[in-house]
Amino acid sequence: MNLVATEHLIAIVGGIIVAVVSAIALKNDWNATGIDNQVFKLMLGLLCLGALIAIGAGAGFLGNFGQGAA
Amino acid sequence: MAVATLPHSGAHEEVDQLYKETRDLRLQGFLLFLISDCVLFSSFIFAYFYMRNSGQGWPPPGIHRLDVAFAAVNSVILFGSGATMHYALENWKHGNFNRYAMFMIATIVLGLGFLGGQAYEYTNLIVKEHVTWAGSGIFGASFFTLTGMHGFHVSVGVIYLFILLLQSVHGVYTKEKYFGLTAGTLYWHFVDVIWVALFSIFYLV
Repeated sequence: MNLVATEHLIAIVGGIIVAVVSAIALKNDWNATGIDNQVFKLMLGLLCLGALIAIGAGAGFLGNFGQGAA
Repeated sequence: MAVATLPHSGAHEEVDQLYKETRDLRLQGFLLFLISDCVLFSSFIFAYFYMRNSGQGWPPPGIHRLDVAFAAVNSVILFGSGATMHYALENWKHGNFNRYAMFMIATIVLGLGFLGGQAYEYTNLIVKEHVTWAGSGIFGASFFTLTGMHGFHVSVGVIYLFILLLQSVHGVYTKEKYFGLTAGTLYWHFVDVIWVALFSIFYLV
């Protein structure tokens, strides 16, 4: 397995793990009250979105994946 | 000689009451700081889009596209640190210090990993691609300014988290009073979310 394929794999697997973990954290905090918890919920939602974007980039759906800086 | 002393009875209650009264104010102040930081990044991002759309294609002729694969891995590392930071705070709230410390250390290590990845990317760009801050036009200037500013925030965040870890080891925070940890978590999430925007605009759009 070459370096680029390894990067593909790490981005996809890592992105899935982070997306699932942040979604679970968001679900657990969903009923929490207070300003800080509202901000945490927003941040966790955006974190989940970021992980999904990273999965998209890793899978080649987004960006110019594979063309690299060569 | 008369010496002013705090009354022993009720002193703890006064401190607790003061904490309860000022916690929301401190939280609002910290959120205002994050909003002002958000405005700072937004102004740079808008300037970047303005320059990008006024040029002749992007990236400009002679500069190759950025390496999305490596950036995606580095992004996952930073996003992962956001998740570990969240669980560090959750474990502190539930009184589980060992798991808190484990997640806190994991967050610091992942933050350092992201910084290492960014340093590697900078080195590749500068040495192999000859893209520099001052010598590559608006592409180099905007890329290094925005990602450098973000990297500076991550560096400050790593130091901040390390100080928070030391403070919590020395008993500065309790299960009831832990505003510093809340602020640290908010700051780290903010740094993650800013990277979602920067990753998207530099590598994907």
